[in-house]
Amino acid sequence: MAEGDAETAGGLTGLVTYFRERPRLRTLAVAGPPYAMLVLFFAIPLVVMLLVSFQTDRIGGAWTLANYTEFLTSETYLTVVWQTFIISVIVTAVVTAVGYALAYSIVRFSRRTTLLLLLVILPFWTSYIIRMYAWINILQSGGVLDSTLQLLGLPAVSLLYSQPAVLIGFTYVWLPLAVLPFYASLTNMDGDLIEASKDLGAGPIRTFLSVTLPTTINGVITGVILVFIPTFGSFITPRLLGGTNNIMIGMVIENQFKQAFNWPFGAAIGMVISVVVVCLLILGTRLGGGLISGGDGT
Amino acid sequence: MSVVDTLMDPLERLLQTHASRMAGVVIALVIGFLWIPIGVLVFMSFADGGVLSFPPDKLTLRWYRVFLNNGTARAAIVTTLTISVPATAVSVALSTMAAYAIDRFVFPGRRGLQLLATLPIIVPLVVTGVAMVLFFRGTLGLGGYPSTVLAHVVRTVPFATLVILPTFLTFDRQLEEASKDLGADELRTFTGVTLPNVLPGIIAGGLLAFTLSFNEFVYTYFVKGSGDPTLPVYIWNEIRYNVTPEVNVISVVFLLLAVSMVLVAVSLTKVELLARR
Repeated sequence: MAEGDAETAGGLTGLVTYFRERPRLRTLAVAGPPYAMLVLFFAIPLVVMLLVSFQTDRIGGAWTLANYTEFLTSETYLTVVWQTFIISVIVTAVVTAVGYALAYSIVRFSRRTTLLLLLVILPFWTSYIIRMYAWINILQSGGVLDSTLQLLGLPAVSLLYSQPAVLIGFTYVWLPLAVLPFYASLTNMDGDLIEASKDLGAGPIRTFLSVTLPTTINGVITGVILVFIPTFGSFITPRLLGGTNNIMIGMVIENQFKQAFNWPFGAAIGMVISVVVVCLLILGTRLGGGLISGGDGT
Repeated sequence: MSVVDTLMDPLERLLQTHASRMAGVVIALVIGFLWIPIGVLVFMSFADGGVLSFPPDKLTLRWYRVFLNNGTARAAIVTTLTISVPATAVSVALSTMAAYAIDRFVFPGRRGLQLLATLPIIVPLVVTGVAMVLFFRGTLGLGGYPSTVLAHVVRTVPFATLVILPTFLTFDRQLEEASKDLGADELRTFTGVTLPNVLPGIIAGGLLAFTLSFNEFVYTYFVKGSGDPTLPVYIWNEIRYNVTPEVNVISVVFLLLAVSMVLVAVSLTKVELLARR
């Protein structure tokens, strides 16, 4: 027994010594597995998608540009892209304004920071579909909002299956996500700067526009990216809350994979979304957004 | 300038005097907006009347009994667990290695690893989901189950790394030096000093990875194919084709799981760490 223990310890010590003398191998042993996993199962699939998007209507078919020409010459699809863009812009603007106001209020005016932050992030960790379902309960005709208004003697409203419903749904799911970078950049900011600005005679609005906003702009850009990109690619929210007029690009992809079974065409649309995403990311990092975890910090 | 000033000054004074009260109103409104829908779900799970009628005539536990007797829903929970448990285990191991490597080693490709560990959060889920079907099912010819587990690992690693990395970054490395000065080798230092200090962060990362995996829908929806649905896929089908009040009960199950997991995770680290990006 004791002998066995000593042997294992000896083996492990040997291993430790072995790696101590070979630091590069040690780095490879630690960084290699997560690196390999992400390359193999995240990066390579995206490359495969790129390749498939240039094939005819089945995988392994001949090379072609047809998927892209079909997409880019169809007025229907281009309208969908435009509609998706508009919805994403509105959602991003609303979430950024509300989320920043909330983060600012918590950081500057509240002492119960931990509790409030917890209340903000908890909904984010529940199921996305469940959160959409909650809004079906509220917005449908005869739902919570409708019934409450009628009880108060107000006219009936049925918002479900409309663009406002889609906007409310998106705002609801992305608010917690956007508050986090706003909160982080506001807590990292030096509060003395605000005092200094006020001492120099600037009111709250001027102080905000010339001191607070510029110093926290990186957090704002991060938040904008974190909201705009997933909204642009979403299909769940418009499918569950939107009507037939609120088609978004993600729904077209879903359709290609779940009903039409034209994978190469679906892949091509996936590439169109990816191009938008990459452009935004480049723009965002140029402007100073910090997205890399544990990086230089926002 | 003077016109702007005459307009601005009263506004500035207004904000100056009422800033604190306005902040209180903003906080109350937004927290209300975030929590009222959740309250509605919980309340409606006790509603007696058929499908989605508000206000309910009376309150009942009927739908909880229906849920507990629903074999399909129970099977969906089991299916979800058979995917989430192994995916979480793999994800925690890989995330800890990634966090350790990013914190300790300087190597070519370090920024690449950081980028790769962040991108799955940013790339729209549909895009990655589609790419995964094409590669896992199309190119590799994998079955639904292994494909889904792999997809869940990709989905959870970035978040777990995000939670685990700060605990490595804030760990005081002088403790390790002290341990080595006292004659312990790397192994004893790691198990005796480093691990106990970073373990809470790793457990928190694991709990959040599990929660995320249990809730995962988009990747699963694309990658898994037909066959036993996971609980989120089951709910999706229910909502789209035949809404029953039972869905409200399942919502409460999701809620309780998320709330308990996050509360334990937060008690193990600081809530601020979850807010770090």
